[in-house]
Formats: sequence, C-alpha cells, structure tokens
Amino acid sequence: MAEVRLKQVRKAYGAAVAVHGVDLDIRDGEFVVFLGPSGCGKSTTLRMIAGLEEITTGTVEIGGRDVTRLEPKDRNIAMVFQNYALYPHKTIYENLAFGLRMRKMERAEIDRRVRSASTMLGLDPYLERKPKQLSGGQMQRVALGRALVRDPDVFLLDEPLSNLDAKLRVRMREEIARLHQEVGTSMVYVTHDQVEAMTLANRILIMRDGHVQQVGAPLEVYDRPANLFVAGFIGSPEMNLVDGHIAGTVARCGALSVPLPPDAGAAEGSEVVLGIRPEHVTVAEGPGARPFHVAVIEQLGAQTLCIGDVDGVRLKVLMDRSDAVRHGTTLPVQFRPERLHVFLKQTGLRVNRAGAREGQRPAA
Amino acid sequence: MSSKATIYSFLFMGLAVTALLIVAPVAYAVSLSFYQMDSFVGAPRFVGLDNYARMLSQWVFWRALINGFIYSLGTIVFQVVLGIGFALVLNQVFPGRNIVRGLSILPYLLPTVVVVLTFKWMVDGSIGVLTKVIAALGLPPVQWFESPGAAMASVILVSVWMWTPFVTTTFLAALQTVPSSLYEAAKVDGTNAVQRFFHITLPMLKPILTVIVLLRAVWMFNKFDVIWLLTQGGPVGATEHLAILSYKQAFGQFDIGGGAAVATISFAILSVAVFIYFRLFPLDTE
Ligand SMILES: Nc1ncnc2c1ncn2[C@@H]1O[C@H](COP(=O)(O)OP(=O)(O)OP(=O)(O)O)[C@@H](O)[C@H]1O
Ligand SMILES: [Mg+2]
Repeated sequence: MAEVRLKQVRKAYGAAVAVHGVDLDIRDGEFVVFLGPSGCGKSTTLRMIAGLEEITTGTVEIGGRDVTRLEPKDRNIAMVFQNYALYPHKTIYENLAFGLRMRKMERAEIDRRVRSASTMLGLDPYLERKPKQLSGGQMQRVALGRALVRDPDVFLLDEPLSNLDAKLRVRMREEIARLHQEVGTSMVYVTHDQVEAMTLANRILIMRDGHVQQVGAPLEVYDRPANLFVAGFIGSPEMNLVDGHIAGTVARCGALSVPLPPDAGAAEGSEVVLGIRPEHVTVAEGPGARPFHVAVIEQLGAQTLCIGDVDGVRLKVLMDRSDAVRHGTTLPVQFRPERLHVFLKQTGLRVNRAGAREGQRPAA
Repeated sequence: MSSKATIYSFLFMGLAVTALLIVAPVAYAVSLSFYQMDSFVGAPRFVGLDNYARMLSQWVFWRALINGFIYSLGTIVFQVVLGIGFALVLNQVFPGRNIVRGLSILPYLLPTVVVVLTFKWMVDGSIGVLTKVIAALGLPPVQWFESPGAAMASVILVSVWMWTPFVTTTFLAALQTVPSSLYEAAKVDGTNAVQRFFHITLPMLKPILTVIVLLRAVWMFNKFDVIWLLTQGGPVGATEHLAILSYKQAFGQFDIGGGAAVATISFAILSVAVFIYFRLFPLDTE
C-alpha cells in the first residue's frame, strides 16, 4: 500500500502531445478514476504510472520512491487490461501464479495466495482450465485475480469492464468496489463511463485532449463542475447549457430571464453560459414560474424527461414520473438559483462558487 | 440437380484431380521399384522386392541415409534458430527497419543456380573473396569441396544462407499476431526479455513454428539442386543423400528399379516421420 504522486507528468509523441502535465496526489488506499472521452490521454497517463509508456517529462512517485525511470516490474504495481491479456497457453492457476513465480516466491506461499484470490473471486472450479474455456466475466475475474495475488502498492485498471455486457458490467463493478474495500489498496481506474466513475471513485480526474479539467469527489464534480466541458460531460441526462448575459439579478437568455444566485461572480453585462441540470428545474406553480411547452417526452420508468421550450429557449426537464404529459402540454417551471451553474462564455470557466449541496463549503 | 448431387460431383472432381496429379505419379514411381529396367524404353521385368533387398544391402544406401539426416538436421537447426533470431531483431524498432526487412528476403528470391555459382566464386582458390579473407586472417586454406567434412559444411552453409529468410519472414509475420498486451502483462508480472520469449513468444507461435519446421524438414530432406550443383554428392559420396543416390542409380547406373526403390524408401521414411511429428506436436494444442 502506498500513495502515488504525479508531478507534471507529460507525454509527447514527437510533436504531438498526448498528455500535458498531470499533477495528482493519490492517497494511500484511495480509488481514483480517470474519466474522459476517447483519445483524451487517460490510458497514456495510466500506462506512464505503470511504466509501460516512457514519461517524456515529469516524475512519478510510488510510496515515496521515484519510479520515473524504473521498469514496470520494479514499480510494484499490478495492472488489469481491457482485453484481459491472459496467457492463453497457461492454465488459470498458472496465470495467477506467473507473476509470483517470476519473482521467485516460495511455492507454498504462491499456492496460498493463488487459492485465496481464487476463492475470493469464485474461480476455484476453473483453476485447471485454459482462458479460452472461460466466459468473459470469468476471464475478467482471472485478470483481477492476477493483480490481486501480487499484493501490489497500487492497482492500475484500464477500462476493465468495457468488453462485458451491460448486466455483467454492473455486477463486476460491484465486485471491484467490494475488492477495493477488502484489500484497501490504492486503485487507479480508467473509464469513459461516467456511471462507473461516479459509483466507484473516491475522486474523479476528468481529462480532455491531454489536459486535466477537474479533480474531485464524484458529487463535487457533479455539484460544481469547473468548466463547461465537465458540466456537459458529467450527469445524465446532460446539463442544459444556455447562452445569456448578466442583467442585474438575472441572466437574460433571449426572452427568458433566469434568476441568479447572489454570488454569480460575473460582472454586469458579461456574456455567460448558464448550466441548468434537467433535474433541477422544478415543475410547480409559484411566483416567477414560466410556461414550459413540451415537445418530446422520454419515459424513463421512474422519471419522465421532457424536452421543450420556455420563452423560446430549448430545455430538458427531468421530473417525477408523469403519465399525463403529452406533446403540447404546458407545464409551469421554476429555476433554482442555488442550483444554477454560471460559466463565462469566453473562458468556459465556472464563475459562481456556491451551487453546491446545501451547507457544503466550496473547495479552494 | 440436387445440392447433394452437386456436392458429390465437386467432391468427385476434386478426388479425380488429386488422383491424377498426385496419386498416379507416386503409384507409378512405386511400381517401377518392383521391376528391373535399364531404360524407360526397354521391357520391364518384374522382380518383386529384389531392388529393395539389393539397395538395402549396399553401404552407399546407408551412407546416403545418414548423410540425409545430417544435412536436413543441420540445415533445419541453423535455419530455424537463425531465422527466429533475425525475426526478433527485425521486429525491433530501428531506423531503416523496412529496408532491412525487405533486403533480408533477397537470398530466398535468387535462383539456386545463381546462389551456388556465387558461392563457388567466393571460395574460388585464386580469386575467391572468402579465400582471400581466410588468407588475410592467416588461417590455413579451406578445402571447401575436397575434404568430406568441409563439403558437407559447404552444402549446409549455402542451404542455410538461402532458406533462413523463409523462416525469418514467416516468423516475423507471425510475431505481429501476438497481442502486445500479453507482453505488457508479462512485463508487469516481472519478466525479462528472455523470459518473455520463452513464456509468450514461443508458446504463442508454436503452431506456426510446428509448420515451419515440418515444411523445412520435408524440403531439406528432398533437396536436390543445391547439393547437385555444388558437389554432385561428392567427394566420394560425402554429401550424397537419398535423392542424389536415387538419381545417380537411375540415370547414372541405368538402374531405374534401384533408383525407384531408393525414392520409395525415402518417401516412406518421410511419411512416417511426418506422422510421428504430428503426433508429437499436434497443431491444435489449446
Ligand atoms: N504511439 C502513439 N503515437 C502517437 N500518438 C499516440 C500514440 N499512442 C497514443 N497516441 C495518442 O495519444 C492520445 C491519447 O491516447 P490514449 O490511448 O491515452 O487515449 P484514451 O483516453 O485512453 O482513449 P480511449 O478511451 O479511446 O482508450 C490519442 O490522441 C492518441 O492518438
Ligand atoms: Mg484507453
């Protein structure tokens, strides 16, 4: 067990820069998820921690030890690959034992570790099989087991669940969460699935085009996205992003006026983008309620998502299930200033500091 | 025509072509070995297994058999080991890799006659490059074709030079099929490059290696042109293997039956060897 420290870790392929200087402190036992769209540099960053990709500049420390120039085998890390990367000609037992055998561990100790990992992961019946004779979920468990037996300082997982079907993915996700609780080792987990990130992470690092956008706890990035990219990326259905400008205590977006929180952080008249989560629009009569004309209805089961217009602005509104709404229905909607996200249009950066859950202090 | 009839008619045509092109010539060659003939025009006389008994009782046959094993074993071992070595080198990233990869196949593309003549020039007693290099190094001159050991070494050397590229190219292509994540997993698991070769590369490429070795073995065991052009089996039979013996018997001694008997025995030995080989190294190991 150990903390991992990335200092200005950068990766360039010739002139093309894949990762532009990542700074990150992963605490001992922490579960950090790298999240971002395809090609943003998540895998590259993870592979630099693993030692599979040379670090162009910057340093990586694991457990206080500078490992920047060390081989993967000398970093005491274990890795789980997207395509499992099981040794096809070795049995499951041998797959699990291989890393220990290469480290000249005592036979009895290898056996003890393999058996304990295999029991933990429910692999006991398959130890004598070859990887080909397992299902995708079972192979994924073997890949986890191979990392587990090593008892490394840190687990590195690169989209470990993306080859599984939706149902299995949920089950394995729970299994990984349970494993993390049981072994308590730091984990770095790469995914482009925000649900995986939100459910597994202690902290999420969001990347785009090789730049870190935000690092924070799942609810923190949900409540206070640092910029427009994070605002649009986190949350499902997506946040409404509406162009407007500051006019006193409201933001004017065409004919629509949205009341601002007291600390909107933007000067009078400045161009802003308002972020309004579909679930933060209240459907109720009251002072300041505006008519919302429903155009499209998506029934999600527990909730109903309506897409429509309010004062000429297109919005998504997520509400408790309503069987009565139809195309053309008009509903009264109100905006909640304390839930509003204000971004400067020019920089894309968030300017209002609050907007968090009630009572939560904004982080520095 | 029903689909079943179509299938059978195609099957029949396939079998007929096979019979015509493969079975018939083999059967004819085998049948020759039961007759005494001194030319292809003279009247053959049935002699049963006499030709076999006669050939098997001559020590030249056993010498040729042993020479054949030495030649094919020597060439295969060197071809495969060197071929894999070159493939591993060419698989690395280095500047000009594609040019070197292209050049490496060259010897395989040259006609055997050209290779053999080139080699003969290189070892020529007065103007040969190799002769001069050896002299410059202060070493005694090598009797390339005059001493029995050196002659065998020469034919093996030339053969290895010619056919190593086949192994290199095949193995290099096969190397591209091994997923890189396996090597990465093995790196994380604490292996060094040698361990990765034995734990990943070799097992992953075992099926292709099995076929390479088999193909090379069959080809080398039957290889005629290189030896014939270099030494004609000499000196005094030192490089004479079954194929050369069979040819000399049939067309030098005008003993067609004897030559056919040698060829048939050679064919039988290969068949048994291939059968055993596939028993030892089945292709579907997983
Ligand atoms: N060997 C390479 N040479 C040049 N560019 C590369 C190389 N490997 C990766 N890149 C580039 O680096 C960037 C980051 O790649 P990376 O694999 O880290 O993305 P990712 O975030 O893991 O995406 P995905 O979700 O698709 O796996 C990409 O733009 C990619 O094109
Ligand atoms: Mg990736």
